[in-house]
Amino acid sequence: MAEEHHVAHPTPAQYVKIAVGLAVLTAIEVALFYINDATQLGWVNTAALLTLAFLKFVIVVGWYMHIRYEKATVSRFFTFGFTLAFGLYAIVLISFGVLAAGS
Amino acid sequence: MTTAVPPATDHHGEHESTGVESRKLGMWAFLSSEFLFFGALITNYLLYSSRDFAVGPTPAEIYDIPFTSVSSFVLLMSSLTMVLAHNALSRDDQSATRTWLLATAMLGSVFLAGQVFEFTEFITVYGMTMQTNPAASAFFVLTGFHGTHVALGVIMLLSLFGLSRRMGGLTDRQYMNVELVGLYWHFVDIIWIVIFTVVYLLTAAPGAG
Repeated sequence: MAEEHHVAHPTPAQYVKIAVGLAVLTAIEVALFYINDATQLGWVNTAALLTLAFLKFVIVVGWYMHIRYEKATVSRFFTFGFTLAFGLYAIVLISFGVLAAGS
Repeated sequence: MTTAVPPATDHHGEHESTGVESRKLGMWAFLSSEFLFFGALITNYLLYSSRDFAVGPTPAEIYDIPFTSVSSFVLLMSSLTMVLAHNALSRDDQSATRTWLLATAMLGSVFLAGQVFEFTEFITVYGMTMQTNPAASAFFVLTGFHGTHVALGVIMLLSLFGLSRRMGGLTDRQYMNVELVGLYWHFVDIIWIVIFTVVYLLTAAPGAG
């Protein structure tokens, strides 16, 4: 069965390497949680954890969901939904003062 | 003057004018809308988790971070097995496809078993139920809905596995079904990536882990 697009998808070995990278990022997240528990890093911890989660999110969507290899229409659909949800709920959380309290 | 219209179909199914297979575009649109669904539930939890309640405990006080970290790792690795199943089918390796589909379903089942254990522990050991306080209610609704999505994914994976076994392999037409189930499965994984960080790691009370 041929692939739908001409750009070559990663090989199984590359998929495994990506999974190792995801596992390492998760381990760093958990380590940060305990470091923050002991030293109270505050907003640095929040920013670092959100950055790591965003990195994992982008890796899974880009390489495992193959959005990098899809047509722009697909990316627009997905990005629109994500941006709309993120923007809408960020406004709600800011309005209720949750983000300010969390930082 | 008219231009030649390209064939409407190829071996993967019907294409719309977008150049993307219709069912695949539909799945991406569905997943895009799911962001609003899960976003609402996560926001609901965050709104209540930042408040104090007279009746406790709240989820943030009793999280078992090491246990949830292992569950997160299991679900993350199920994305690897899913993409390997998709890759094996693209090489027409039916046996490997079945193996990876089953492995994905098993990892999903392990994650679900972990969630059942967590819920049971919260209810029986800590006495935190849906009625305890709004934060507990928001937590159970959010993680329960995510678990329901995982359970549906496991059923779809096992259906594909059973179909492959019965038919001696998945056909060219069923290739798209594997791709769609794969997209759904990876989406469930990315939602958990957000839940694990935002709901567990960022809101857990000091010393809760």
